[in-house]
Amino acid sequence: MNTKIKIVSGLSAVLAVMWIGQPLDALAARKSKPVDLSNPDELFKVQIKASCSTVSGKPTLYWWSGHMYSRVPGEKDTLLFNVHGMNTRRCEIKTDPKKGLCYRSVSREVMFYLDPVTNEVLRNWKNPWTGETVPVIQVANDPVNLQPTQRFFCARDEEGKPVTRDGMFVKDDVVLEGGGAARLFYKNPLAGDYQDYVGGTYHAMEFGSTAIPLASAQNANITEFSDSVISWGRVSRWIPWMKMGDREGLVIFHTAGMRLDNFGQLPDVVRREIETNYPQYREPPPLDDARPNETSWTVFKKYIDAKRAADGPAK
Amino acid sequence: MQIQVYLSRAGAALLLGISLLAAPVGLAARADNQPLDARVPEDALQMTRKMICSLEDGKPIIHWWKGTMLSRVPGERDRVLFNVQGMNIRQCGTFSDPKKGPGFRSVSREVMLYLDPATDQVLRKWKNPWTGEELNVVHVANDPVNMRGPMFAHNDQGKAHEFGGMFVKDKVWTSGEAPLFYDNPMAGDYQDLVGNKYQAIEMLNSFTDAKWLLNRKQKTLPTVTISWARVSDWIPWMKMAGRPGLVVFTTVGKRVATIDELSEPLRSEIRNTYPLYLAPPPLDDARPNETSWTYIKKMVDAQRAAAK
Repeated sequence: MNTKIKIVSGLSAVLAVMWIGQPLDALAARKSKPVDLSNPDELFKVQIKASCSTVSGKPTLYWWSGHMYSRVPGEKDTLLFNVHGMNTRRCEIKTDPKKGLCYRSVSREVMFYLDPVTNEVLRNWKNPWTGETVPVIQVANDPVNLQPTQRFFCARDEEGKPVTRDGMFVKDDVVLEGGGAARLFYKNPLAGDYQDYVGGTYHAMEFGSTAIPLASAQNANITEFSDSVISWGRVSRWIPWMKMGDREGLVIFHTAGMRLDNFGQLPDVVRREIETNYPQYREPPPLDDARPNETSWTVFKKYIDAKRAADGPAK
Repeated sequence: MQIQVYLSRAGAALLLGISLLAAPVGLAARADNQPLDARVPEDALQMTRKMICSLEDGKPIIHWWKGTMLSRVPGERDRVLFNVQGMNIRQCGTFSDPKKGPGFRSVSREVMLYLDPATDQVLRKWKNPWTGEELNVVHVANDPVNMRGPMFAHNDQGKAHEFGGMFVKDKVWTSGEAPLFYDNPMAGDYQDLVGNKYQAIEMLNSFTDAKWLLNRKQKTLPTVTISWARVSDWIPWMKMAGRPGLVVFTTVGKRVATIDELSEPLRSEIRNTYPLYLAPPPLDDARPNETSWTYIKKMVDAQRAAAK
């Protein structure tokens, strides 16, 4: 850990505490020159402030809400659930003599499926295609970390050249990021050993965007943004607990959200569910967390394997 | 981005943190220096209108976005087919109805270009990787994309207009989806029986600051950022016929003040090839809406007629 960064971070942490409930941004901004965002090192710092915080280990929180639809050929896309999600994350920050500022993130994530009429967390769901009532397995992924543990994102490469990140750009009075997608296509943990031959591969696309006010991005005293807004969407195969088997169709998620300052700002329905059933999700994992990541597919596999073991051999 | 036409989904405003909606109810709330009150139908309508266009009649509002279009085919990794850059230019006009109260309607034109994902150049030809056929690229140029009718403070049944936005901290946003499922203009007369319906979902988020939205004197929002996405069937000019698969658009963007602020090559392409799209259609525009499907149908029909 570079000493200089430590000192800057410590000062910023003090400022961050002062800001709670006080509009001191303007005052703070006047004290220092606006950050030059054409400098790739500075833009990289903006990315860290949007993802987590430049203060190593400081917990941050994103929340989003929206809808999940079905897509079945020949049927109008149908609203199945309201969804509310939350990710709590912290980053280990370090500096490398060649690569500059580096970070690794660790996080926990929940997303709840809510009744689209009552907006209550669903415990059971009647599948309209199969007629079967199935237990709803909420998204609860612990951890969702940058893997492996020794992997850090850095501002520069081994030769000290800035790493090109075409995702983030300044437009007028905002910094925007998005318009791309993570194309996920890998071995499905719930499918068999011959997926290249018979199919069943995990197949999903995730897309998101972020918008940060330029004034915040240019403020050197801010260590993590509190006013960044996000969009998140996803197109994937049926969620395993829906028990759709090989039936044709997909699910589509579409949500909007933003950075929250603390757990208490979450909507009641989300906060209550976390406090009652997912208390460890109030905090991100420790910085040295070395566990493999969880996804809805791996979580469900553990659930169904445990259930099968308890129920005895399948009939 | 036709979604704004459909964004009437009732959504109760969810209040988080400091509520900026805590304005006094009653006549006093209507004064110029009082914030708009979402519980007053006329105010709620103004909030909806500000998210879509401007309170000022005839003021051109430009939304710009950029991103990618990807394929999704069962059994293969999704592919980035194109970068895209698009814009919608619109204006709103005021209406009034003795029963339904004040209203507004937006009229617009829309362009979206398919760009080479490596060079960002406007694509003229594209080799379809599944069929091997080289095709002419038909860019999106929809004139018009209008609200079919005005939206009023009260609807036909007398129900008060609700602002469907969400207030969180000092931000406010609208987030919605429009699942589209209707007769495909390029398919036959028995689609309920044999299929081939037009099937798509449009998704849009629009974000701004609550202080601007609620300020009665702020006719036009100074900053709106957007995220637009879409999942639909293959675009007709791709000539995928009935092959399984679909396309996904994912983009990010914002309102811009003038055409000059559009990104390249969109700005030059509009000036050179689509000059009509430098301005919105007239407020009394009564033409039916254009979509990529109706546009390409006309083009194919004209080509077929010329070939005879």
